[in-house]
Amino acid sequence: MIELDDRTRAIQRRAREWARELKPLALELDGDPDAIYRHLDVAIVSYLTRMPVPPRHNPDPVVIDGHRFYGTGTLERVVFAEEVAVGDAGMLLAAPGPVMSGVLVDSLGDERQKEWFYSRILQRPTWTFFALTEPARGSDAGAMETTLAPDGDGYVLNGRKRYIGNAARADIGVVFARTRPGPLGVTAVLAETSDPGFTAEPLETIGLRGLRITNVTLDRVRISAGNVLGQHLRPTQRGMWSAVQGLNRLRPGVAAFGLGIARSAYEYVRENRPGLPLRDRERLDDLGRRITGVRQLIWRAALAVDAARPSAGYEASAAKAKASRLAEDATMEALGFFGAGARLEHPLLDKLARDARAVEFMEGTGNIQKLNLFTGLLQGRLHRG
Amino acid sequence: MTSLETPDTETVTGTWRRLRGLARGAGVVPALTALRTAVCPEALPCGPAGHALVPEDIAETFDHGWADGSGAPRAADREDRLTEIAVSGGVLVALRRRDEAPVDVHRAPVRAWTLGLAWVRLGLSEQMLDTCMTYLRGRVTGAGTLLNQQMVKGSLAEVAIEHLEIETMMDGALPGDLDIAATVHLHAQITRADRMLLRLLGAYGFLADGPGQVAWVSELLADVYVGPPAEGGPR
Repeated sequence: MIELDDRTRAIQRRAREWARELKPLALELDGDPDAIYRHLDVAIVSYLTRMPVPPRHNPDPVVIDGHRFYGTGTLERVVFAEEVAVGDAGMLLAAPGPVMSGVLVDSLGDERQKEWFYSRILQRPTWTFFALTEPARGSDAGAMETTLAPDGDGYVLNGRKRYIGNAARADIGVVFARTRPGPLGVTAVLAETSDPGFTAEPLETIGLRGLRITNVTLDRVRISAGNVLGQHLRPTQRGMWSAVQGLNRLRPGVAAFGLGIARSAYEYVRENRPGLPLRDRERLDDLGRRITGVRQLIWRAALAVDAARPSAGYEASAAKAKASRLAEDATMEALGFFGAGARLEHPLLDKLARDARAVEFMEGTGNIQKLNLFTGLLQGRLHRG
Repeated sequence: MTSLETPDTETVTGTWRRLRGLARGAGVVPALTALRTAVCPEALPCGPAGHALVPEDIAETFDHGWADGSGAPRAADREDRLTEIAVSGGVLVALRRRDEAPVDVHRAPVRAWTLGLAWVRLGLSEQMLDTCMTYLRGRVTGAGTLLNQQMVKGSLAEVAIEHLEIETMMDGALPGDLDIAATVHLHAQITRADRMLLRLLGAYGFLADGPGQVAWVSELLADVYVGPPAEGGPR
């Protein structure tokens, strides 16, 4: 069993306190994704607005019980994400902040780009987006159709992206595009949504409506040469390599959303169905044990990412695949404790069951995770003791 | 009761097949309308806890509620309109009738409704499978389509197996042939098949319209009219 150190326990305790503020707001945000604009002063939203920003660019970190937090460690992020998702995963994803783009800028940006990006983030609550997925080919980078072509002293971006979270609210973000054929032909650039030719159209979803996913159209969006990420790195470390590394760092966080949704459903049953008959209590206890097991798997993946272990990506896939199924199962099982009409009488549980469905495809579907895990197994790179 | 009042296997089988085909081809609104016509008298069909999820015209037309085989007058002050869902082909309305006596789910009319609903939900699940096949055939990965990936083929085959088993279990069944526990099980099986399909659709299956909504509405119907077993078993 993995146990948390004092520092991580401190952020866990604080996140748990903060998350209590979210539950009463969850259905409001589900009904109206713009409710996020009314709740920017909620403690947890305010924290997320500035996380992760690395120490070099963040002179004013959050201090909890004497520990400084920059949001850059994967373990602290998953512990935090679980607690917030118990409150409301929708609010976690609706909040402004660097999120996925921040991870990419951290690994691919040069000093000037980082300074520009993080100063925007710290100036005021700023939403960001991360545009990788495309309409016809999903996240299959080898077939990416969005292009980045030279144009005068800069570049021009053309293409379409799909299912991009927060893009309609965002000011800035990262777009992946192709400069030439082949696996090394994919490049990441910093883009501003106010630039001519950039449009983001919100899509209505079944759940996690706070995330506000969008279709993005890029019609001759001009990108200055200084906004192309990774130019100071070797070609093999730019583009898709960086996306894969970034997703490895983020995947345990998505798993933690799923875990938090599952725990929220589990706790809802415990709070609202006291005095369960023995058979039901055993069923609920078993769900609790599944939650504990998946939490350990997520922490293991997070530690692997933080230690930059070669197996980290595979362990992250394992955690994410397991957590997404747990979220679906736990929310459906929780409804089963309340009898006919549960979804109408317990709208929060219905919301959790709808939200849980999103965990399955975020950062790659379960099948993608299993295929990735198999690669690690086949190549002997999956750390197995 | 109409066509199922004195049921014989041929009539019932024909009715069920029609419901299933309507659900698969035309969607939930005409299928529910046909189910009400076949099973329920001139009344609003309600679930065991007093809820209803029906096309708007059914919600607004009838002045009696129907739950356990008998009708009771509706009263505006004892009824809550909970939500409306715009679906392909119309609007579904969710209602709650307060202070209703608990329904005896073992009575034959209720069992006809829950069995008929299972046929409707099977048709909706088959519609999702059709949509899924079309969608995956159009998605390209590497040199081929997603439909031809081995894991995807396996998952679709699993759904087809579930559909075959569900169909076989229900085929020729008259209202009352399957006990309530078996019907609850069949509804759960349909939900699991739908979830398998959703996992193949990625974010597309999470959009508020299309197959993602079909699956959610189908789950909602099961929740309202069949309900998961409470306190360890069906009531």
